[in-house]
Amino acid sequence: MRFVSVDVLGSFNLVGAVIKYLSLSLLVPIAFAVAYSEPVWPFVVAGAIGGAFGWGLERLTTGKESVGVREAFLVVSLTWLAAAGLGALPYVLSGEDQISSPLDAYFEAMSGFTTTGATVLTDVEAMPDSLLIWRQLTQWLGGMGIIVLALAVLPRLRVGGRQLLEHELPGPEFEQLTARIRDTARRLWALYVALTFAMVAILSVFAWTGIDDRMSPFEALAHALTTLPTGGFSTEARGVESFGAASQWVITAFMVMAGANFALLYRAFVRAQPRPLIRDEEFRLYITLLAVTTALVIGELWTEGVAKGEEAVRAAAFQVTSMMTTTGAASTDFNTWPLFAAIVLVAVMFFGGSAGSTAGSVKVVRHLLIGRILRRELDQTVHPEIVSRVRLNGVPVDERTLRAILGFVLLYIGVFAVGAFALVADGARVDLDLRLLDAVAAAATTLGNVGPAFGFAGPMGSFDPFSNVSKLVMIVLMWLGRLEIIPVAVLLSRHYWRA
Amino acid sequence: MRIFIIGAGQVGSTIVEALHDEHELTVVDEDGSRLEAIGSRFDIGTVEGNGASRRVLENAGLAGSELLIACTSRDEVNIIASIFCRALTPATRTIVRTGNEEYLDVWKQRQLDVDWVVSSEREAALAVSQTIGVPTARLTDLFADGQVQIIELDVQEPAPGIVGRALRDAELPADSKVASIIRGDEIAMPRGEETIRPGDRIVVIGSPKAAREWTRLVTPARRDVDDVVIYGAGQIGVATARALLQQGIRVRLIEANPVRAAAVADLLPKARVFKATGTDPEFLERERIGQADAAVFAMRDDAKNYYAATLAKLHGVQSTIAIVHDQVSVDVFERAGIDVAINPRLLTAEEIVRFARDPRTRQVTMLEQDRFEILDITVRAESPLVGKRFRDLPMTGSLIGAVVRGEQALFPHGDDVLQAGDRAILFTPSSRVQEVERTL
Repeated sequence: MRFVSVDVLGSFNLVGAVIKYLSLSLLVPIAFAVAYSEPVWPFVVAGAIGGAFGWGLERLTTGKESVGVREAFLVVSLTWLAAAGLGALPYVLSGEDQISSPLDAYFEAMSGFTTTGATVLTDVEAMPDSLLIWRQLTQWLGGMGIIVLALAVLPRLRVGGRQLLEHELPGPEFEQLTARIRDTARRLWALYVALTFAMVAILSVFAWTGIDDRMSPFEALAHALTTLPTGGFSTEARGVESFGAASQWVITAFMVMAGANFALLYRAFVRAQPRPLIRDEEFRLYITLLAVTTALVIGELWTEGVAKGEEAVRAAAFQVTSMMTTTGAASTDFNTWPLFAAIVLVAVMFFGGSAGSTAGSVKVVRHLLIGRILRRELDQTVHPEIVSRVRLNGVPVDERTLRAILGFVLLYIGVFAVGAFALVADGARVDLDLRLLDAVAAAATTLGNVGPAFGFAGPMGSFDPFSNVSKLVMIVLMWLGRLEIIPVAVLLSRHYWRA
Repeated sequence: MRIFIIGAGQVGSTIVEALHDEHELTVVDEDGSRLEAIGSRFDIGTVEGNGASRRVLENAGLAGSELLIACTSRDEVNIIASIFCRALTPATRTIVRTGNEEYLDVWKQRQLDVDWVVSSEREAALAVSQTIGVPTARLTDLFADGQVQIIELDVQEPAPGIVGRALRDAELPADSKVASIIRGDEIAMPRGEETIRPGDRIVVIGSPKAAREWTRLVTPARRDVDDVVIYGAGQIGVATARALLQQGIRVRLIEANPVRAAAVADLLPKARVFKATGTDPEFLERERIGQADAAVFAMRDDAKNYYAATLAKLHGVQSTIAIVHDQVSVDVFERAGIDVAINPRLLTAEEIVRFARDPRTRQVTMLEQDRFEILDITVRAESPLVGKRFRDLPMTGSLIGAVVRGEQALFPHGDDVLQAGDRAILFTPSSRVQEVERTL
């Protein structure tokens, strides 16, 4: 009898390969550092360490062509931990006071790759541009998924890629665009790249034509890199607030797209089949939820005299979309908004975007299906003999999938509750100025990969005042949230490791 | 006419009974005893063997026959027999009986090279919805790939502009014609001076859009039947449920087999499916089955249907309709107080016989207990009516509602001219079918 029946070394091997190639992404900040005459060496050293680590891990272990169903959980969980480690290296090496402590650096990198957007920086504009672009790039890489990227580009990983993809792409069911998983991964990434370019182009045009004089090609790139992955990092101290109305509307539109199902977007844009997207029940509910919650916030802002006219509509639409799609970008300091509006913003954090999008949190389709499961439960209470299926877009959903959804949501609520409790308790321990709503929002925002919370960790604030323990808790929450808990949670069960 | 019949079951023997006088019949079946029974009653040829075997068909002398009727209870055997027949003797017409509505759809889309397909399930479903008296179109049938629709309506509303006005002045929906007005036992020809009155039953030929318009105009929005319970979710039960659901009627299906119940729940999202026997009084009480407007008993076993129907009556169901599998049961059921007993095999056989009598008729809809038929006939070049304007066609009780020219359906006006090769969709009393066919 073997003590561990999971191929741990084989999994390490694959993680090593992914990290090795991921290190190449440091070439981007290196280019920026050269162009802006900023220190290049932190990125070179980080790339070298990352490459050597990945290469060494690969050499020390033996891998296989394919990865097993069991190993997939371990590979995905470890890859994300290791990627955040790689992401943290340039911060540590840069020696910037705000971020060079290893824990802060790791927090920032995890927040980047998981597309959360929570930051420990207190003065963004004091940072070198090359470091900021790296920070934006981590979100862009993490948005569509590191593994999805690896699957699309790496020559190995032919077989068994599906399991990996399923753990990484958010949502209960994964829609394949083509018969071969690799082609699907490539197409999703291609669409992602194309949408990013489109957004850069539009914002750049605004910059050149003077429609928005605060916009520049650098800002356009920086914000496109964090909008499509629903990340939310900004290179501006006051986030998107400094930009003009036109830019804010464009960013809102791209956030809405980023929160939609990419497989359906692909069919709509590339194959010119908009019907599946428009008829999709999840997409419809997603748009409805956005519209209704935006209307609520507009009403509140208007009646409370916070903002009026187009400004109220724009602020509400931007902020609700940003929080619901788990982007977390801010066009205004909603910390100062009336309590009702703040509560709506916390509530929409739990909605999330669509399955198969880059958004985090619970996802609209799970809410939809849970509503239908509950309706069926009530029906069966009155009519015990009724046989009825829960359907999505008219197609019956597998009972096992439904159970998995219930399990996920229970886990999500459980992890959120534990996280919130830990933050409150730790805040009391170190005597932090943390209201209950702030702690709840901080737990929800990190688990849902949203970004800003309230209070000192609000949209214009920083997570820096949190104690190290709290930061560690939130790092774990971000990691769990991005991988939708289950792949990590199974690692904790005895049945996972035994035959 | 030489006719081959594959299958000597209930459908096959009913067909033999109807056709043996006029035609030369050969029956193919695997079951020797069945052949013996039928062979001793009628003067026909019998061949023992598998109807889906090319060798059997060839040896039996299929070549040169004029019609093949494949009516075993197995769809695949029937379809394969028709395919072999088409290959062996392309001129032979083929009729296939199927239990699967999907094959019917495939055929309607012309993807099955068979001259005519009859579905017992569909026949039963139509009979049930007719019996229940769905007050929207009593019967609708599509011709020419759905471009032409025939509907039979009970006029209940005093629709202004139509009812009570001479037809020539009435504001009829475009692209439609009134084919017949049935008033009690009388049949009124839809001449210009005739008027439609409430209580009449009318037959309309028109475009699907016009058909919807007619239904809206002359039938009330309220429905008499809104809640139907179907016992047994077999193919007939499902076909019936589908037909009723299409009319917007709520359907509850009761099925004892859990696997089948789950499958049907998948298939019919709008129906309420219960996994129950239907003979449990507690269940009937809890689900208020007694409040149903009608109950259909479509389980496989006549005795079970009988018991369930009686129990449903006791619980207060107004109208009970039983599907029977044995012809003997029809009398038993009706004498015992079940309102209507329907034998799908008999209906199927009747439909096939109707087609066999005139193979030129591509599709036959029976209206008003066989007194009228809708024919879909291609006009011969030598017909005396070719080249005549529609207003000049003789008024004999038959009426051309639409013609299909090329692929296009036209709803002719008085000045249009009938051409050779037109597919005429016409309405005629049964007594004149032969005459019409001869003329055209």
